[in-house]
Amino acid sequence: MQRRTLLAVVPAALVAAGTAGCSSGSSDGPVTLRFLSLAWQKESIAANKKLVAEWNKKNPKIQVKYVQGSWDNVHDQLVTAFEGGDAPDVIHDESPDIAGFAAQNYLQDLTDLLPSALKNDISAQSWDTVKFAGGGIYGVPFLQESQIFVANRKLLQQAKVRIPTVDAPWTWDEYAEVCRKLTVKGKQYGVAWPLSAPVNKVLNLSLNFDGTFFGTSGGKTTVHVGDNEKQVLRRIHDQLWVDHSADPATVGMKGADPLPAFFAGKYAMVPAGVYFRQQVVQGAPKGFDWVTIPPLKGTSQHQGATSQTLSIPADGKNQKQAMQFISFLLNGPNQATLALGDWLVPTSKEAAKDPRLTTTKDDWNVATASQQNLVVAPYLKVDGFDEWKTKVATPAMQQYFNNKISLDALATKLVKDGNEVLKRYQK
Amino acid sequence: MTAATATLAANAKPVRRKGFEPAVLGLVAPALLPVLVLSVAPLLYGIYLGFTDARAGRNMPVHVTGFANYVELFGDADFWGSFRIGLVWAVGVTVLQFAAALGLALLLNQKLRGRWLARTLTLVPWAMPPVVVGLMWRLVYHPQAGILNSTLKDLHLISSNVDWLNSFTLALPAVIAVGVWAGMPQTTITLLAGLQAVPGELTEAATVDGASTWQRFRAVTWPALRPVVTAITALDFIWNINQFGLVYVLTQGGPGGQTRLPMLFAYEEAFRYGFFGYAASLGVAIVLVVLVVLAFYLRRMLKEAV
Repeated sequence: MQRRTLLAVVPAALVAAGTAGCSSGSSDGPVTLRFLSLAWQKESIAANKKLVAEWNKKNPKIQVKYVQGSWDNVHDQLVTAFEGGDAPDVIHDESPDIAGFAAQNYLQDLTDLLPSALKNDISAQSWDTVKFAGGGIYGVPFLQESQIFVANRKLLQQAKVRIPTVDAPWTWDEYAEVCRKLTVKGKQYGVAWPLSAPVNKVLNLSLNFDGTFFGTSGGKTTVHVGDNEKQVLRRIHDQLWVDHSADPATVGMKGADPLPAFFAGKYAMVPAGVYFRQQVVQGAPKGFDWVTIPPLKGTSQHQGATSQTLSIPADGKNQKQAMQFISFLLNGPNQATLALGDWLVPTSKEAAKDPRLTTTKDDWNVATASQQNLVVAPYLKVDGFDEWKTKVATPAMQQYFNNKISLDALATKLVKDGNEVLKRYQK
Repeated sequence: MTAATATLAANAKPVRRKGFEPAVLGLVAPALLPVLVLSVAPLLYGIYLGFTDARAGRNMPVHVTGFANYVELFGDADFWGSFRIGLVWAVGVTVLQFAAALGLALLLNQKLRGRWLARTLTLVPWAMPPVVVGLMWRLVYHPQAGILNSTLKDLHLISSNVDWLNSFTLALPAVIAVGVWAGMPQTTITLLAGLQAVPGELTEAATVDGASTWQRFRAVTWPALRPVVTAITALDFIWNINQFGLVYVLTQGGPGGQTRLPMLFAYEEAFRYGFFGYAASLGVAIVLVVLVVLAFYLRRMLKEAV
């Protein structure tokens, strides 16, 4: 009856992943590659499709078929596609997800396939985000996201606070002070933290204070929550429940949910990834003046980075051709185009110099400069991180940010329950 | 000896077991084959997987591990937590659905004007796939743009927007409400059919004897309806505890696992973390527990009916 329909989802995903599977055995004959793209913003889809069309025109023997996927279900789709032996030839995903697939041997180690031009153009830090399972390279990193704040410039000026720049950023202390100044009881909050998915955000920012959360000794990875790890957690919690400079009502919200209230002047700032600027530009009322706040400084400005990636399945029949297409799609100028389309930061050194990405328009200069602060996120190398995040860290952090448990109780949960989960993966 | 055979033959009057007839197989095959291939084979494969350490991965070796998965399952507090949520959900939805559907069925059984229209409208939720129901209700519950919040605000029942599906306390009740709504049609229609089978003379006779509405319901309608009630609540319970699509679309098991039904839990084990063997054993365990619960329930109901 009706309850049965969802069982059909799995085969449906398989079918979606494998519509056109025509590939010939010889490496010189014409081949058709399937390119699973997860682009979702309008400009980004257009940019991807344009580049695919350009490639197809130039390479009649290697035709690329654009297949639209979605971030919401890419993991499930790929699991079924891999198990069914019918994965797309070029797979768009992100490093946390391909870490798992690499450990499961589904992805091709690209070390010997990479052309040197592509290899040299991408920063070493970015390559670190795709090295798994004994140092192999399991994807080509191309877009990265750093954490910034988008602020209401008028409110900042009214409160007479210093607006930070790339060269003179705010420290976390200064930021907390500014938020207190920007808070008007019952009317306005300094900041709105949407924390329905808090884990990656907290872990990425915690590197500001060298908080790594995971440590490996003797080949065994365990969770570690010390003073460094507690810094960002405590500072956000203090804003919510001690300073009252952050609105507790936004704790359960997702990234873009506080936007309407931000536009209405109820919040002076919202923390977000750099891509968020696009939503601000698109949704802001006329005359709304906003400014991008560069990454905050703790003991450093380091932030944990992950990357969007393009990978090739281990069972792929046309790996060489797939790599040719990837090199084309991710060369300097094309990466710049893709970065513009997604409002993210490119990994290509050449692309980062593109004038379109260094202009002060829409604060692209601040966004692109923030790439300097990115270092590989330690959790990327942790087998079982995803389960730790879903089962242990997300509910525990949500309780902490809702002021239901203490910081010490949170730390105990993250470590004790967390190590139980990680054990499963270290058999 | 011959006499004995004769008596035996006489006793087993409708002798059908006259040896095996290959022709019968040919007749049964078209019906049997799909059942074997599509239901029995996957089921057996699932049971087998439950005894292995099968994991997602290319060329991953699979070992038979005996009852290791089941031992792990017994100590898995997360799973039993999810099972508890599953029971709250299944019992909650089934009971509320039954109460609401019985009321609606009694109403629709009256000779009201426009009854045909009301009966048709009752079926509407049935025509919608669970995913569509889920999406629709997500819009209803939307904290900023949802019709529920704006209605409650207009009525001055709440002062600020409530984030129904992300609240630790409200998410499960909110999801249960959707479950009740989505399952109403089949329960209502089944009960309505049962009500129509209640002999009119009996009700009339009771009225003549001076029975009140409530007495008529207790003494006449309810006993006649009982078998239907047993069947539909048992079925509803099975459907609900195995529910997946609706909740997956509404909350994906969140916030913090507050609506993670057992089926969602098993799905995550398999497709998110890649533990196929363990997930299969979870499926088997769910089936067993449901069977036990149902056996008790049905036995009680049938006993009372006698």
